[in-house]
Amino acid sequence: MSNKKTAVVICPGRGTYNADELGYLRRHHSDKKSFIDMVDRVRADAGQEAISDIDAANKFSPARHGSGENASLLIYACALADFFSIDRAQYDIVGITGNSMGWYLSLAAGGALSLEDGARLVNGMGQIMTEHGKGGQVVYPTVDDEWRQSAKKQKLIDNALSMVGNLTLSTSIHLGGMHVFAGGDRGIRHLMSELPKDGVFPLRLRGHSAFHSPQLDHIVPMAKTAFSADMFGGPDTPLIDGQGNIWSRFSTDTDALYDYTLGRQINGTYYFTRAVQVAAKEFAPDVFIVLGPGGTMGAPVAQSLIQMNWRGLEGKTNFQKRNKDTPVILSMGRDAQRALVTT
Amino acid sequence: MAANIFDRAAALDAAFISRVQSGDMPEVSAGELSAPILADVFDTQLMNRHLDLMARRTKGQTFYSIGSSGHEGLAALALASRATDMAFLHYRDAAFCIQRRKAVNGSTPLYDMVLSFAASSEDPVSGGRHKVLGGAEIYVPPQTSTIASHLPKAVGAAHSLCLGGGELPDDSVVLCSFGDASSNHSTAQGAINSAAWAAYQGSPMPLVFICEDNDLGISVRTPKGWIEANYKNRPGLKYMSCDGTDIEDAMRGAREAVDFARTRRRPVFLHFKTVRLMGHAGADIEGKYSPQAEIEAREARDPLLKTAAHLMSRGVMSGEDILAAYQEMRARIDRIASDVFTRPKLTTAAEVMAPITSDQHRKALDIPSREALAKVGCERDGRHIPLNKMINKTLAEILLTYQNTFVFGEDVARKGGVYGVTLDLLKQFGAKRVQDTLLDEQTILGMAIGAAHNGFVPIPEIQFLAYLHNAEDQIRGEAATLSFFSRGQFTNPMVIRIAGLGYQRGFGGHFHNDNSVTVLRDIPGLIVACPSHGADARKMLRECVRLAHVERRVVVFLEPIALYGTTDIAEGDKAWMSEYLAPQDDEIINFGEVSQHGDGDELAILSYGNGYYLSRQAEPQLTGIKSRIIDMRWLAPLPMAAILDAVKGCRNILIVDECRRSGSLSEELMTRLIEAGITVPIKRVTGHDSFIPLGNAAYSVMPSVDDIVATAKEMTS
Repeated sequence: MSNKKTAVVICPGRGTYNADELGYLRRHHSDKKSFIDMVDRVRADAGQEAISDIDAANKFSPARHGSGENASLLIYACALADFFSIDRAQYDIVGITGNSMGWYLSLAAGGALSLEDGARLVNGMGQIMTEHGKGGQVVYPTVDDEWRQSAKKQKLIDNALSMVGNLTLSTSIHLGGMHVFAGGDRGIRHLMSELPKDGVFPLRLRGHSAFHSPQLDHIVPMAKTAFSADMFGGPDTPLIDGQGNIWSRFSTDTDALYDYTLGRQINGTYYFTRAVQVAAKEFAPDVFIVLGPGGTMGAPVAQSLIQMNWRGLEGKTNFQKRNKDTPVILSMGRDAQRALVTT
Repeated sequence: MAANIFDRAAALDAAFISRVQSGDMPEVSAGELSAPILADVFDTQLMNRHLDLMARRTKGQTFYSIGSSGHEGLAALALASRATDMAFLHYRDAAFCIQRRKAVNGSTPLYDMVLSFAASSEDPVSGGRHKVLGGAEIYVPPQTSTIASHLPKAVGAAHSLCLGGGELPDDSVVLCSFGDASSNHSTAQGAINSAAWAAYQGSPMPLVFICEDNDLGISVRTPKGWIEANYKNRPGLKYMSCDGTDIEDAMRGAREAVDFARTRRRPVFLHFKTVRLMGHAGADIEGKYSPQAEIEAREARDPLLKTAAHLMSRGVMSGEDILAAYQEMRARIDRIASDVFTRPKLTTAAEVMAPITSDQHRKALDIPSREALAKVGCERDGRHIPLNKMINKTLAEILLTYQNTFVFGEDVARKGGVYGVTLDLLKQFGAKRVQDTLLDEQTILGMAIGAAHNGFVPIPEIQFLAYLHNAEDQIRGEAATLSFFSRGQFTNPMVIRIAGLGYQRGFGGHFHNDNSVTVLRDIPGLIVACPSHGADARKMLRECVRLAHVERRVVVFLEPIALYGTTDIAEGDKAWMSEYLAPQDDEIINFGEVSQHGDGDELAILSYGNGYYLSRQAEPQLTGIKSRIIDMRWLAPLPMAAILDAVKGCRNILIVDECRRSGSLSEELMTRLIEAGITVPIKRVTGHDSFIPLGNAAYSVMPSVDDIVATAKEMTS
């Protein structure tokens, strides 16, 4: 019987590389030169600035570090490098999932795509979105201060969606305690005026398109033209996708995986909460390891687990105490927790 | 090392590992399944096997150890059918359910299955009430340890696909699996016969019976060749067979069977030859009745080995891959189990009973216009009519109002019923709404249950109460339990009309005058209504159909045959007849409301059906006694609140119960009155503990007007 802990790995999406993460690759991953060189080569092939240079900048620039065409591969490089840093002598990785763009990262981490194909896919989709993306995303909480589902807030969200009329508005991501809307300009204006102020929310995400919504229907054929199915294979480690479906090594139909990744995944709602809950139920890991950069993804994971009362998790206070004593969510973007994951 | 003869789970587990390790694999021929599908089925089969092995290791934390090992080939039926093809399954079909659930976004088949094994209240199927295989999202109504009692409803569901207007796609097929031993059960025989009877005369019956033949019924061997010999040449039934231990041949058989049933709309008997592994259940020691060599021969036919052999021979997975997947699944299920065992259980009776009456509610339907009603003869025409004619008109009104109802039973269509209750309905509503069935009450009730699964509100007729008894389990074990075992996710609403009770002027004897409804009165959730005259029947039947359609209840509407044509209380007074009133003009009788005649406070007579009629006949002779006569109308559950209100202030209570003295509702009624604190004298006039004889002798064992008068006088003197 193995003494290793079992872990489900969570890959982050866009928006996780911010000012605090500047220099993340240099700080944590100077030992992964060949991987970073490969990533930079992908950039060079596309005539783009090297990821290692962007990471090594003296100053964080939202325009430079947060733009779709740079942020996507920057986050890919940081997250995959984190993935390689997990101490496999301590942890058996039994499943991998991710949020939004994190699905592409999951494919590469799980081995369904080679690291280079993963990099090309992420970078290419970042470029396509920069050029052809439209609309935007707005975030609004569904939970109270204790991270418990709030019927009142959910009603506000449901009302906002039902009042949509001709406006283009839909659910982009179920993100733990956050509801992410995808909308066109009118839809977003409607949300910003309709939803009552709740701290910083409703919050429009800078530089994001209306991901995971029918507004990106036109992206699907572009993506399928840019990438072919033969780069996909069965993953070495089971993957849980944005509909909560499991893809395993030998049973993966690679055409179906391609169709989902460059089809429904692009223009349909992403159920991150469900993906986490499926991972918790069907793989019952000891811990969830959230890859960096950034430490913001731990909260939606915790909120997803609280929602299903996972191992008695009842709310934020209870979670934070548990995570301090015997961590169940380890965010590699947080130094103290990172130390528990790496050698 | 020789395996422990008593621990076949360990032996089977060890044998799989050692045979794969040593490359001692069964021979398999080339197959057609794609590599991912073959690997996916193997994954399903591993899940099935390790769930069973886990259950054997965790007695006390899991509570039901009848496994599906050996029957893992059933995954083929899930693959060969559509997700919306409703399946009524054998209790060994976990692999079927797992395979279907994999196609549902975000499903968690392992976690949910363990919740079910552990009887957790979070089990999404039964909510911790039973280990049942099923789920609304996979179109598998929950089944438990059935003894083929689910076959009649499969026939009913298949039949209903051809009526049009159901909730399932019209080109669906219905799947129904069962074991070789239970195929001998009279219920199975009746259902298979009914399906073939229908097909033989050209009636569509898109149904696949899957007989999972593992040669054993617990310890009793099925005679060699029995299943094939029995079913190969049945008229109306297409026999096919496959090797269920070999997934490739299982797929061939499953596809052929499902395709035949779908395209030809005829029933198929798929003889699915397989093997039972690890005994009948956890407590069953096979060594007591089977020699070890025989047990080991069965184990050597392990379907997992054959699927592994296919994967290895085609180079999809190596032996190491197979073993790694096998061991990873064991570890994964152990981790899941340790999580699930901490999940909550049901702890109170209220929690357990919550779904007995279903929590689904559908919209009530609009009343048709007077013009539409008039076209089917439902209008006030000044004619006073007796009970049978009133029910006839009300059925027409209901068939017009509820397009999802249909009336069926023996002799109900062309003949119009033995007592004319369904006269002319066939002419008015056509052959899909009014149907004659074969002479088999299990099939009639099964047809109702199956059709109700497809969105209908069936109105079956049981011709005589005594005929209910050989089919009663269809209500008790099947219809009434569905919402309980499915947390109300599945319902089978219906109104079962039963003609019954005594007093047919000495005609018919016991089988046409049965006066025991006890068998219907202890079934949780079942409603039994009994009108005593036409005006009540009209209003109560409407209420019964509303209870079924809106509240998804199973309702019995018990019609006193002797009162069907009764016109008078006293000779020539026509007081037992009334005019038909359309729903727009009529009062409503709600479930649980009783009626009260008179308001005297000296004596309350509590009765129903013929007893109420006799009490009304007795009334003129109760001179000087200030009485009230209460028709309870609802025999189960007893409308106690209304009854207590009705008897309030009365100084004596007389219960007139035409059923037998023992076990009849008067026993409960007496108990409940006393429990409610009633201290006034209570007496009963009841039937004797006898069957009903022919001729005038019948009256000697049932309450009479004289008995009522004598007891009333005695109580008040």
